[in-house]
Amino acid sequence: MLLLPQALVDGLLIGGIYITIAIGFSLAYGVMHIIDFAVGEWIMLGAFLGLYLSQWTQMEPLLLLPVVFIVFGVLGYLFQPVIYRVLSGKKGNPLLMALVFTFGLAIAFKGLGLTVFGFFSRSIPSAMAANSFTFVKGDFFVTIPVIRLIGLVYAIGVTLVLSWILKRTDFGLAIQALAQNKEAAGLMGISAKKTNSWVYGIYVGISAMSGVLIGCMFSISAQMGSKYTVLSFFVVVLAGMGFLAGVPWAAFLLGMVQSFFLIYFDPGYTLLAVFIILYTVLLISPKGLFGKGV
Amino acid sequence: MRRFHPITVLIIALLLVLPQAALAERDFYKVGVITSLSGDLATGGNVTKRGYDLWAQTLNAAGGIEINGQKYKVELVYGDAQSKPDQGASAAERLATQEKVDFVLGPYSSGVTLAAAPVLEKYKIPMITGSAESPMIWLQKFYYTFGTIPPVNYTGASPIETLMALDPPPKSAMILGSNDTFSKATAEAFKEAAEKAGIEIKKFNIVPAGQDLMSFMSLAKALKPDLVAFGGHDEELINLVKALLQINYTPKALLMHYGVTEPAFVEALGKNAEQVYGASVWTETVHAKGEDLWADAAAYAKDAEAAFKVPADYTQAGSTAAGIAFQAALRQIKAVPPLDEAEREALVKALEKLDIQTFYGRVKFAEEGQYYHANIGLSPLTVQIQGGKPVIVGPEAEAQSAPQYPMTPWDKR
Amino acid sequence: MRRGILAFGLFVGVMALVPAFVQNAFVLRIVTELFMWIVLAITWDVMAGYAGYLNFGHGAFFGAGAYVTAILMMRYGWPFFVTLPVAGLFAGVAAFLAGIPTLRLKGAYFAIATWALALAVQQLALVLDITGGPDGMRLPPFLDPVFFFYLILAVAVATFLLLWVLLEWAPFGLKLKSIREDESGAMALGLNPARIKVQAFILSAVPAGVLGGIYAFWITFIDPASVLADIITDQAMVMAVFGGLGTLLGPVIGAIIVFSFKTIFWAYLSDYQVLYLIILGGGIALTVVFLPNGIWGTIIGHIQGRNALHKGMSLNMPPGRSPVQGADVND
Repeated sequence: MLLLPQALVDGLLIGGIYITIAIGFSLAYGVMHIIDFAVGEWIMLGAFLGLYLSQWTQMEPLLLLPVVFIVFGVLGYLFQPVIYRVLSGKKGNPLLMALVFTFGLAIAFKGLGLTVFGFFSRSIPSAMAANSFTFVKGDFFVTIPVIRLIGLVYAIGVTLVLSWILKRTDFGLAIQALAQNKEAAGLMGISAKKTNSWVYGIYVGISAMSGVLIGCMFSISAQMGSKYTVLSFFVVVLAGMGFLAGVPWAAFLLGMVQSFFLIYFDPGYTLLAVFIILYTVLLISPKGLFGKGV
Repeated sequence: MRRFHPITVLIIALLLVLPQAALAERDFYKVGVITSLSGDLATGGNVTKRGYDLWAQTLNAAGGIEINGQKYKVELVYGDAQSKPDQGASAAERLATQEKVDFVLGPYSSGVTLAAAPVLEKYKIPMITGSAESPMIWLQKFYYTFGTIPPVNYTGASPIETLMALDPPPKSAMILGSNDTFSKATAEAFKEAAEKAGIEIKKFNIVPAGQDLMSFMSLAKALKPDLVAFGGHDEELINLVKALLQINYTPKALLMHYGVTEPAFVEALGKNAEQVYGASVWTETVHAKGEDLWADAAAYAKDAEAAFKVPADYTQAGSTAAGIAFQAALRQIKAVPPLDEAEREALVKALEKLDIQTFYGRVKFAEEGQYYHANIGLSPLTVQIQGGKPVIVGPEAEAQSAPQYPMTPWDKR
Repeated sequence: MRRGILAFGLFVGVMALVPAFVQNAFVLRIVTELFMWIVLAITWDVMAGYAGYLNFGHGAFFGAGAYVTAILMMRYGWPFFVTLPVAGLFAGVAAFLAGIPTLRLKGAYFAIATWALALAVQQLALVLDITGGPDGMRLPPFLDPVFFFYLILAVAVATFLLLWVLLEWAPFGLKLKSIREDESGAMALGLNPARIKVQAFILSAVPAGVLGGIYAFWITFIDPASVLADIITDQAMVMAVFGGLGTLLGPVIGAIIVFSFKTIFWAYLSDYQVLYLIILGGGIALTVVFLPNGIWGTIIGHIQGRNALHKGMSLNMPPGRSPVQGADVND
């Protein structure tokens, strides 16, 4: 019982990380209907850009987040037409084709990462990584690591900004129109190509930024991508694919499962529990937790 | 159903006529290297490759292995196990039948070793692994397989014993291991030694590999064990230290296995790597007098640094020592390349009897028991990261510096 | 069709003679492994290409079969051959039990659910005692390359024939394709999609399970990190898509090309493994962009187009029309 507050906080904080890796992906799926196997690789590449930039400039890596976002945002924007070509192909099953395309991309990125960054695990040194707040009341205590709190705040911030953009700006309306009906949106004068490029750029930028945060909390390596791809997929599917508002809840659920299993049950079964819960939720509610997935 | 496309036929034909290496007379030893150059374990696999490469380069620069007044060079042929057991078996089969290697320098991981060893038994080709250290390998009693690095259950007890010699010794422990074969065996070795030493074990768990350890470390903060011991691979070790850092709990001693001696550990963690304990059998400061190639550990470390621009760790040193063991055994039986079956059999016999001093320490393979064909010539060492380098702090006879205990709290660094 | 049977018979005949001419154990091992991948690719395609369901957990059937054989042989002392039907049966029953609830899911949800299930199976093998946990299991070495070559060849031929008959000749294939094109339409025609899908799922699982059993005895060592890894499904998927989905021969060709490339690179260019990743990844991506129907799909597209032209048929059906259209038909 003593650990209950800590378990809850840990669950929220782990959930925060899951939001950061899934929110961009969910947006991209909602608009483009793309299952992007390379999401973990964007995270990996972002993490390494953050590492090298912080080594080069000797700056706090968290301050470099905007730079990473812009670099990868531009990359994603420029890269999107290729994916668009795959997705809008008249032949084959576009969903499957995009999936296999990004799968190939992920393999190639990993190879590139191994070539450039080498095999060894690294860590992004952040001054925030060693700080934490501790609250003690009697036997109860809660420790909140600053870096994780930053991660959570970042995650919620990104979620809020994205939903604001979607609901309150013309660009957001265009995105929503596209997500709902491609042809009709086209008739309204919305360029699917251009909007998709923006969305893909935003998604890649967000994912790359998350990589920097992850590098401050954990170790990073050129092979880390696939692990985050799985996690990202799971959160997005649990939330309902493309249902942005569901992402935080799905992420918190998975975070709580992990935190409680590690503390209260046999930690060896943590991942087993995560996978089984994910599977069961899908069986009960085939379109994600809220039944609102596309 | 349609007919087969010509391309299909062409490719099958190509596969069938893959070039078959001729068994020609040669004046050099052909040495197979099976290791994971790609896949999940590529990090460690490439460390073993560096060790094998350095052995071959240095040996060839010195002219080669001298037998009856003539020097024979060595040529390494690689087989990438891709971190997968079946590909390790394929690599073994290729090196045996296509390349007709004389002997094999072995895999990085235990799984690949377990799959490759039976294939080499079939072709009667001796293998020494410079890295695989799961106790399971030696229980299988492969006749042709040897290892220069002792299994973890042989080395794991040393740091606990070193810690018990402190005043006051740690009284309680939390021990965890990642759920892979090496890490689990490490955690179990730590647990066994701790129980024997009378340390109260407050928690012992095997956690899924790659798990976020922060909430588990919240438990440490509540249970307040003096010792936190962890079996895991490099990235997990870094994650654990970062998790402890984030949750802000500093145990009196933090113990891991050889991973702390990997240069990447210190490089990634900087000052937070300080005072972490590890178990090892080799550091560049260990007292060892080599007869072949390198006079001592420092000389080896210098060459390794010059060759690869990274400090050598004990996996790399163990891999190089595997080459030296073959070299010494070959000299004893005076077998010139290529080796036939009888000579390879004699090589195994010579390896069993081998007892040599190298820069890596003594190499002596067990002839029976649970360590069958693993190197039992070395004394397990306790190391601690001090001043950015792994330093030997135990056992007393080998210690070069006093253990720092308890650990300086994270926020006082 | 007659020519097809002839070519198939000829191919099997030639393959059966391979061990007589190729004594090299390594080459035999490689060809054996190739047949293993062919089976995995064509059975994956049953669900993906014919039924339109992406099974990301296909490798779990393979791994389960491997563990069934290993456990029965090592823990209960069963002879190898007796374990194989059990491995197949186990995979079939698992497919039946998992298929009924899971096949109600659509598109990406089905894909991720099967993936989660496969990962759960891997975690289960890691924590159970009977599977040996992360240490895996060792089987007694029986390293006869000819034996395993014929055994896996037999499984491959049997699987291919079974799928050929069921998917290309029998009405079952058409039923399956009608589900892929329009599931509610299929129901309106009086079909029972739920039942047909589960049947197809079992059909794809059983050969994979049997194959897993053989694999365990062949490689002599299995652990969760190898036989239950994602990479098994991923590789089968890449092969099938590369060759062309929704055809029987496509995945076979895909398997041959991808596997040959991989093996040749591996055997002769070991030093460039990282480059291999870049080339393989780039190759997959480029194939998808330029040959969305896969290699075989593109070839038959051309052949059909040409034939149609020759026979003066109307060209309402554009050449190169894919066997896999699901999504854009519904758009």
